[in-house]
Amino acid sequence: MKFEWFVASRYLRSRRKQSFISIISIISIGGVALGVATIILVIAVLDGVEHGLKDRFLSNEAHVALSIFDHSFFKGYQERIERIEAIENVVAASPVIFAQIGVFREHSNTIQDAIYIKGIDTAQEDEVTGFSTFVIGSTDFQNSELIEQAALINEGETITGGIILGGRLATRLGVMKGDVLRLLIKLVESPIDSSMLLPDLANFVVIGFYESEMEAYDNNFGFIHIDTAQKLYNQQNRVNFIFVRLTDAELAPQLATKIEAAADFTVLEGMPNARTWMEAQAALFSALQLEKIATVIIEALIILVASFNIASTLIMTVMEKTKDVGTLRTLGSSRGNIMRIFMIQGSVIGTLGTMIGTALGLSLCWLLRTNTQRPSYWYIIALVVPIVLQFLIASQHAMRNRGGWKFAVGVLWLIGIGFALYCAVRPISLVDLGLSQIYQMHQLPIKINWVFVIFINLLSFAICWLATLYPAWQAANLKPVEALQHE
Amino acid sequence: MSNPSETLIRIIDLHKSYYDGESELPVLQGIDLEIKTSELLAVVGASGVGKSTLLHIMGTLDRPTAGQVIYGEQDVFTLQDTELARFRNKEVGFVFQFHHLLPEFNALENVAMAALITTPSNKTIYEEAASLLEYVGLAERLSHYPSQLSGGERQRVAIARALINKPKVVLADEPTGNLDRRNSEAVHELLWDFNAKSGQTFVIVTHNSELAEQVDRVVQLVDGKVVL
Ligand SMILES: Nc1ncnc2c1ncn2[C@@H]1O[C@H](COP(=O)(O)OP(=O)(O)OP(=O)(O)O)[C@@H](O)[C@H]1O
Ligand SMILES: [Mg+2]
Repeated sequence: MKFEWFVASRYLRSRRKQSFISIISIISIGGVALGVATIILVIAVLDGVEHGLKDRFLSNEAHVALSIFDHSFFKGYQERIERIEAIENVVAASPVIFAQIGVFREHSNTIQDAIYIKGIDTAQEDEVTGFSTFVIGSTDFQNSELIEQAALINEGETITGGIILGGRLATRLGVMKGDVLRLLIKLVESPIDSSMLLPDLANFVVIGFYESEMEAYDNNFGFIHIDTAQKLYNQQNRVNFIFVRLTDAELAPQLATKIEAAADFTVLEGMPNARTWMEAQAALFSALQLEKIATVIIEALIILVASFNIASTLIMTVMEKTKDVGTLRTLGSSRGNIMRIFMIQGSVIGTLGTMIGTALGLSLCWLLRTNTQRPSYWYIIALVVPIVLQFLIASQHAMRNRGGWKFAVGVLWLIGIGFALYCAVRPISLVDLGLSQIYQMHQLPIKINWVFVIFINLLSFAICWLATLYPAWQAANLKPVEALQHE
Repeated sequence: MSNPSETLIRIIDLHKSYYDGESELPVLQGIDLEIKTSELLAVVGASGVGKSTLLHIMGTLDRPTAGQVIYGEQDVFTLQDTELARFRNKEVGFVFQFHHLLPEFNALENVAMAALITTPSNKTIYEEAASLLEYVGLAERLSHYPSQLSGGERQRVAIARALINKPKVVLADEPTGNLDRRNSEAVHELLWDFNAKSGQTFVIVTHNSELAEQVDRVVQLVDGKVVL
């Protein structure tokens, strides 16, 4: 291989021996590097967004919600919870009564709004969804001071208990802490006239607000104590949901069936249904997944285009060197020798391109997620130095023919561009872009998936290597005599 | 040194035709030729008669349509590509009308190239190459690139290159066809020198009648055959 390297490395250089590497090689390397760098960067952003959204989404969401198919109530839930919590990788489970309920507007005698009610056991719910951490105000549903005060103010009315309302829901309903909210439990026949239906109302005192920054909760949910909910629906010792938290959210699909089995519902009770958070958010995350697949395909095409670049560079070199291939054959190079000379050339381009691309991609990722004070504008000076020197070299014949100068300027270019990137590439603020509300993140998230980085490296090597095959084969199969006579 | 009267190359009933679709262009039509070790042989003939074609086949750069080329005991066209390349590398040196130097390599590297194909780069190879260049009068031009050399100098580098692996035979196709009289004579001198010094066999295709007079034997090609 020594001989092949000797020839190939010379062919990578330009005709003018002063240049370290020819322009055409640089362009080919740049093409591969750009493809690899962008694919690493874009996937890191998409992974970051997905991860960030999942994090946000899972911060107050159960990983699995177990119920009977028709959401009917069941008893013996504490035993079922114990069995579920005994499953490996289950962190905790909590009993929940989950229902939709109307908010009653007294003076107009109409239903103002429909909200979701979650009857919970605070301690158990904290284990599963971190409930208390999102509450501003009291979480003491039964004995809050506010309840006593409200009872005093609204003398003669029975206060059923406290309620914690989603912050935005509270704003929408126009209620404040300490206000009484009337919830419509059901309609009952009037004792006077059985054809008339009267609302059966329960009074709740607003004792706190739930602020999770998750729209679905903050805008639609009210939380009450589980005992209160059981009384309200006349379902003593029963619930209709068990919410489960796992050690790893990704395990949800695997553990769902185990959880269903542990629940052990009888035939009379009905079919179990363990719904994973992925199923609940299927639309969002499958869209993200699709986006990622599409991106990988598009970016792989970029590398493919870059590899065409390598192939065409090599084909051009082969054409340009046809006569020399003939000469090398007369000197006694075998087909294998010739093939390897051109494959080395292509592989060096592919390898350098992939390595530079990986370094660039990872550096950009790092710059985009590292919040440090960076100098602004000064980086222009870092670029001025090599630009000026480049002009000097171009105009001064004496300097142009000195390899050392070119090398030094090359290094200065690298430093200049590196410094400019360091200064110019900063974390992208989603707040400034007005996207922080939608994505619930302050800056563009970056998450590097190392397995994917390695995969892309291997893919790029493979594509570039394949791109060298045809031109190298073409060179190896030139007929010596015809190659010699090639003009 | 091998016995001067020994036969080095035997060419037996060699045919070469070029095909253009259906039509056949017969060029060599039964060449029989024996070339002895240390012989200095000139091949002459009208333009287009097939002198270059013969030389290429002798040098295993091309395969004949029929017939054999035997070096010693070896029928070279029974060899595979890799063996043939190795054979060419060790046993045959080429000089062409146009120098065919590699433009990316300097004179020294061009001369060393054939040795570097089979042997890892080492000092002996470059010393050998340098002494060959010195011998052809280019001691001062070792690091010059082909583009920095004159036509005559390039051809002298090409001769040095053909000799680096001490081949048994040097095949030269109009080596001075592109040079002026003075340069031609210098090149001829060199060829005779090497022939006398190392006992290598030289087969020279030429249109130069002066040169043809100075060789051991002249072979003339007419209508694809050898006439004596
Ligand atoms: N690759 C080829 N395809 C078709 N015909 C060819 C090919 N190479 C050579 N010929 C033909 O073969 C004949 C012999 O060519 P060759 O080059 O051997 O002649 P030559 O004797 O060396 O002539 P010159 O003295 O002009 O160099 C010519 O008529 C030429 O046109
Ligand atoms: Mg000819």
